[in-house]
Amino acid sequence: MTTRRFLLGALAAGGALVVGWGLLPPRSRIGDRRVLPLVEGEVGLNGWIKVARDGSVRLAMPRAEMGQGVHTALAMLAAEELDVGLDQVTLIEAGPERLYGNLTSLATTMLAHPGEAGLGESSRAGRVGLWLLNKTARELGLQITGGSSSIADAWDVLPLAAATARAQLLGAASLAWKLPVTELAVERGTVRHPSGPSAHYGELAERAAATPPGDVKRKPRDAWKLVGTAAPRTDLRDKVTGRAVFGIDVRPEGLVFAAVRHSPMLGGDVARLDVDALLRRPGVERVVRLGSYAGSTPGFAVVARTTWHAMDAARRAAVQWLEPPAGHLDSATIESALEARARAAAADDAGFAFANRGDAIGALEQAARRVEALYRAPYLAHAAMEPMNCTAQVKDGRVTVWAPTQVPTAARALAARVAGVDVDRVTLHVPYLGGGFGRRLEVDVVGQTVRVALETGGRPVQLVWSREEDFTHDFYRPAGAALLRAGFAGDGTLSALHVVSAGDAITPRNAERTLPALAGPIDPPDKTAIEGLHQFPYAVPHLRVAHAATHSGVPVGYWRSVGHSHHAFFAESFVDELAHARGRDPVAFRLELLAGKPAHAAVLKLAAEKAGWGGPLAAGRARGVALHESYGSVVAMVVEAALDGGRPRALRVVCAADCGTVVNPGIVAQQVEGGVMYALAAALHGRITIERSEVQQKNYPDQPLLALRDAPRVELHLVPSTRAPGGVGEIAVPPLAPALANAIFALTGRRLRELPLRLA
Amino acid sequence: MNLDLNGKPVNVDDALVDPAMPLLWVLRDVLQLTGTKYGCGVAACGACTVWVDGAAVRSCVTPLSAVAGKAVRTIESLAAPDGALHPLQRAWIAHQVPQCGYCQSGLLMAAAALLAKNRNPSDAEIDASVTNLCRCGTTVRVREAIKTAARELRAESGTKPPAAGRATP
Repeated sequence: MTTRRFLLGALAAGGALVVGWGLLPPRSRIGDRRVLPLVEGEVGLNGWIKVARDGSVRLAMPRAEMGQGVHTALAMLAAEELDVGLDQVTLIEAGPERLYGNLTSLATTMLAHPGEAGLGESSRAGRVGLWLLNKTARELGLQITGGSSSIADAWDVLPLAAATARAQLLGAASLAWKLPVTELAVERGTVRHPSGPSAHYGELAERAAATPPGDVKRKPRDAWKLVGTAAPRTDLRDKVTGRAVFGIDVRPEGLVFAAVRHSPMLGGDVARLDVDALLRRPGVERVVRLGSYAGSTPGFAVVARTTWHAMDAARRAAVQWLEPPAGHLDSATIESALEARARAAAADDAGFAFANRGDAIGALEQAARRVEALYRAPYLAHAAMEPMNCTAQVKDGRVTVWAPTQVPTAARALAARVAGVDVDRVTLHVPYLGGGFGRRLEVDVVGQTVRVALETGGRPVQLVWSREEDFTHDFYRPAGAALLRAGFAGDGTLSALHVVSAGDAITPRNAERTLPALAGPIDPPDKTAIEGLHQFPYAVPHLRVAHAATHSGVPVGYWRSVGHSHHAFFAESFVDELAHARGRDPVAFRLELLAGKPAHAAVLKLAAEKAGWGGPLAAGRARGVALHESYGSVVAMVVEAALDGGRPRALRVVCAADCGTVVNPGIVAQQVEGGVMYALAAALHGRITIERSEVQQKNYPDQPLLALRDAPRVELHLVPSTRAPGGVGEIAVPPLAPALANAIFALTGRRLRELPLRLA
Repeated sequence: MNLDLNGKPVNVDDALVDPAMPLLWVLRDVLQLTGTKYGCGVAACGACTVWVDGAAVRSCVTPLSAVAGKAVRTIESLAAPDGALHPLQRAWIAHQVPQCGYCQSGLLMAAAALLAKNRNPSDAEIDASVTNLCRCGTTVRVREAIKTAARELRAESGTKPPAAGRATP
């Protein structure tokens, strides 16, 4: 067993080693100035910061901008500590160096998210696990944009790197002018002393690089000028003028275009393909058979003069397909098996218990009153607006890849493997991502594109999937089912909760595809398969939450908010059922059970108050509430719903959130609105079905997104907080569906226990 | 084939294209105007919206042959030649509309076509003419941003002679 496997194995077992978290100070991640490439006149100060001749700052950016505003937010952290304007920070692509690895993102696979354990009180198991992951991530140098982790991960590092650079720059001025540092002031990158001397950072940089920073301290919170403000995003001018370059827009010299056609049956292959007929189609120059790359279904690629020539030829190709060797996939069969599995595991007390306190099963038997419900969720597609694509060039033993990816390290490693070169012969550029949502944590298209680029005589090739290929060859949010059983004691208090869920684990499947070095011979328990259920915030003395892991064969992946996406629907709908079973108001019932969770209670109260909970409503409307913690943040939502031609409709969504320290409340508001819309589309329409291994939903008309007319009013109210930042990008997705379902119950008396929410 | 593209005559080499080829791909892959995006190929999402003779069309289903002799305008010409942004672009920034940004060119072109005809659209009129899809959910802000731009256009046309208005992108 390799060390890496051992480390992950130890994590899976709950992290039994006791090691201090403080062993790895953020200072070690500031990095060496030599890692940043310099252009004329620039001076590197550490692994994150360079200063240009005009005094402006270059910031290494290892995270992908996919809409979540991370480029703006990280630049704000640097600008704040350096006392420069946000407009004086230019981003440069970070290289593959290990210091840019994202440690926090890996916490999504941990049994206990360190920030989730109770907002402030982090568990020892969580810290130990994080330390181990930290080691693993560092060893691999994993760069990931995902798990709502970018700000949390940068929080201890990037401001310190910027503060260190500032200390060196001020130290240089102090030495040059022979004046004490404490008497110097900085504004927009210009250092001044009241007696007259002044110099901008560009003039001080050379000397600063040789000046020790001394004892560096981050700015105190009350001195912040930029962090905490709704500073305008820095990427929007390019995004309203069409100039922003997404993966699909890169146009290197000599580019040729390619389209892919996979076997329509997941896991199938090409049996016969009339290549000659394809080559006779206009504009077509080559056909490349594609095997499986990082989990992709085999098929073929057509290289042509334009994307259209390639797509048109691929679509018209005469091809016979091989059936999948493992037998056919059928989502209806899988979903009913999940339901049966959850029921059986509950009856046998099987599955891996992620939470266990007291004697839930015994307490249920003795309960004066029991409530039981089975909840279900379907497969879902990511459907980012920018379809899967990649551009690659293989020339003179070097590989250049332009990939809109959330996982550059994994993309680069696969490119090297496919091209048969050492990884340091691969240069990777990450343009803007036209949405990610977890789909771009997969690198299938990178492997395919490099394979095609081996056949284009050194010319760069851009491979673009049609929307149909994108829908039908996704890595889907796994379907899930859970049986929830609660018991009330004779005095009416909630005494027991027993939850058993069933569904595919994502992390082991993703590791096999994307990080083979981390894949083990057996599947460790995957926290993403239970998250959102096992950290039940409400007071209940006897609790058991177990998961029965399945392996359906359907390609499953991380979908914005992952396990939380459906588990919040299960848990918060069920809690609503419990409130109604007791004849209690859903907000009051929750608050009573949150006496030991003041942060949760504060968020819930704020949402209820701002939504006018309990107040009058227009006829035909009702409110529903939900509360959910994910990625170290707590969100409550009150949805005001109505029926429109018999179909549920969300009209107003009032959100309250505690997401720790907020770097940019404007971006948080965007993410919350976006999360609401993303979740609302899923709650109303989201369902991927598979028949004889073929995904039935092939384009947006089959799986609608929401247009302007469907957009509710969304309000966000933040609970002020001084703890470290929690996640933001995914946190608004989980509570929407249960809040809407609870509103529908209030409106119609019908309890919908399956997504999407359909009354007919 | 000759095109009137963003106010300039452009020749497209007939050897490179096909009359049935959608305008979208001529723009993106032949003329290197990548601001117009591919989203669905079936006129469902609107990411490919451009103007043809002042009307918003979905270029992914508009064959090249259909735009011969017509004026095609893309996102690249929504701002003035001197770089001054269209009121909609300014409103988009003021309301901080874009997230990933991929569908925004199409949204802006659809909204611009609406405002060119109607400088005081109601919610219903906005909903009816701007039917673009956005996976990031920026649609929550789009209506208000359009109204802000509409107000600015009305104020502009109230203070300037009509010829100076921005009826075309």
